[in-house]
Amino acid sequence: MPESKSEPERNKRPGLLGRIGRSLLHSREASIVIAGLILVIYFQSTASAFLSPGNIANLAAYAATTAIIAAGEVLVVICGEIDLSVGQVYALAPFVMFYAHEAGAPYLLAIVLGLAVGIVVGLVNGIITVLLRIPSFITTLGTLFIINGFTLTISGGFPVQPQANPVIVTIFGGTPFSQIIWAIGVTLLFQFILVKTRWGLHTIATGGNLIGASEVGIKIARIKIGNFILCSVLGGLAGILDAFRISSVDPLAGGTDIMFMAIASSVIGGTLLTGGSGTIIGAFLGAVVLGILKDGFTLSGVSAYTFDMILGGAILLTMLVNVHLSRLRAAGGAK
Amino acid sequence: MKKTDFSRAGITRREALRRAAGTGALVSLSTLAGFGVTSAEAAEEALGKFPKHPKWKFVFVNHVTTNPFFVPTRYGAEDACALLGCTYQWTGSEKSIATDMVNAMNVAISAKADGIAVCLVDLTAFNDPTDKALQAGIPVVSYNADAKGNNRLAYIGQDLFLSGKGLGARVVDLVGEGDVVGFIATPGQLNIQPRLDGAKEAIKESGKSINLTEIATGPTVNEELSAIQAYYAGHKDLKGMFAVDAGSTQGVAQTIAANSLQGKVHAGGFDLLPVTLDAIKKGDLDFTIDQQPYLQGFYTVMVLFMYAISGGLSGPADINTGLKFVTKTSVDPYLGAKNRYEGSSSEEKALTRSGPI
Repeated sequence: MPESKSEPERNKRPGLLGRIGRSLLHSREASIVIAGLILVIYFQSTASAFLSPGNIANLAAYAATTAIIAAGEVLVVICGEIDLSVGQVYALAPFVMFYAHEAGAPYLLAIVLGLAVGIVVGLVNGIITVLLRIPSFITTLGTLFIINGFTLTISGGFPVQPQANPVIVTIFGGTPFSQIIWAIGVTLLFQFILVKTRWGLHTIATGGNLIGASEVGIKIARIKIGNFILCSVLGGLAGILDAFRISSVDPLAGGTDIMFMAIASSVIGGTLLTGGSGTIIGAFLGAVVLGILKDGFTLSGVSAYTFDMILGGAILLTMLVNVHLSRLRAAGGAK
Repeated sequence: MKKTDFSRAGITRREALRRAAGTGALVSLSTLAGFGVTSAEAAEEALGKFPKHPKWKFVFVNHVTTNPFFVPTRYGAEDACALLGCTYQWTGSEKSIATDMVNAMNVAISAKADGIAVCLVDLTAFNDPTDKALQAGIPVVSYNADAKGNNRLAYIGQDLFLSGKGLGARVVDLVGEGDVVGFIATPGQLNIQPRLDGAKEAIKESGKSINLTEIATGPTVNEELSAIQAYYAGHKDLKGMFAVDAGSTQGVAQTIAANSLQGKVHAGGFDLLPVTLDAIKKGDLDFTIDQQPYLQGFYTVMVLFMYAISGGLSGPADINTGLKFVTKTSVDPYLGAKNRYEGSSSEEKALTRSGPI
């Protein structure tokens, strides 16, 4: 029959490169990549030092730890919750690491203990939200203040200086290169978990259709509590990386600013705040875009007073481009 | 084909369009050229007796960029830049977040700034960026806060520990004995912690039985007031309330006024926010200490300019911007007129004075 003969020919026509290209353009993250590229071109044309190796290191500093926290937030947001306390875990974990080391633990163990703080906080957040049925916004708002006060109390409000050997410092965020590797590694690992493992599938199901998911037999409580734990641990990891980067552990570090940036990165990258859908690679790109904006404007010489106005306007413009590109993609890609 | 109306003037439409395009291009090119010539000339302008130099750009990295204390500092930097044909960028962190300040410093290095001025509020966080900047040939000075172990070329600001000792000595004079509280916005930060340390040292040296409690209030003015009022509400038997930063001093003044404590509780602090000056006039505060923030911007730009124009031969010099007690008897000139040097007005105005000094 004529159709069957022409079928294989039709399928062969696009070719491997064309198919990859088309699937990339159709991916959810394509629009934020294009928006990011437009920004890079804009900043490179106004400040030629933008793409210098030194400045790319700065970009990494602006974006890496936010991207790591955003990876955790995406998981929590996808299953229908939110974690406001992650910025405080970012401040607390390096302190616990420092005091554990002072008490005699070698640095590697101290780092693990710092991350263990994230496990405890995540567990508390998860149990209160799921078992006591308090909305996660309120739960994590409460734990935010508790952790902040706790950090200030144990530190006496004073910043401290971690003194680890150079190998540890280099591996755990001491150089921009190591920060980028951590950020990319975390992003790829968690994107894999999200799309290719059962945990990810159950997370999406929990957020997309809570009743349906529990009817099917998914353990909702375990999924939500587990994601809260993952989010807090990533927050602690980000805090430890930044502490080694600036060789100072500061009780004022992080806080609501970095938490807000992480959530903003997730949303800019394509995660829906209502839950059920999200992308960790998108959150990484969102953090990169926010970093490009902050770095680019500081590089161009914008001063503090006008900085926030310009940053806000730029975020709106970038999202405009992002949303409209998504619409075009959705309209054009329907096959 | 019929020719258009242009044929009356002797040219075809195509010719007219071409001429218009050509004229437009010429006009825009000359405007661009005009821009180019103007900006080049401005950049190479010679001011005073100084030779022509490029419009150097200095980056100020600050820990509380939007705090009112630094408004006169920015005016000082602005005035010095206008005087010397340079520009400055005011950046850093809004809430004393060290990572933001380190990022801003690194971006200044990438942007090849001609000089960096940074408040060294952390003991180690700025050491690497300072070394990187010096390695890249960018001079680094510190202003308002200094840290031992940092390789900055000079410090322009108040000697913080000594100013604290001055505060402590004044506390001993006023209070004699009893419980006092020392409010500090952000403990451990090197622009204010040394003052509190100095005060504690001076009180200890005096041997008087004064019990000083340190209380943190926060980096923004609003939260500082709430913290101070809350503390006083729980400790009504205080003999004295003192502060080591501008926002906390203002908060102390407002708390004393709100609870009508003039004469019953001694109070004093640092810096010259408008509320603080009014409080001194009214008697709510016994004293405040002036560190001349305008000069911390003005002299910093001069130091960096001198370094640039002399090719690094001259410029860096530690400048102590002073420790001056302002009390009820000496506060009037400060209240006289809103002026740029105290930050209360942006107007450029020369002030006058009379009488002996």
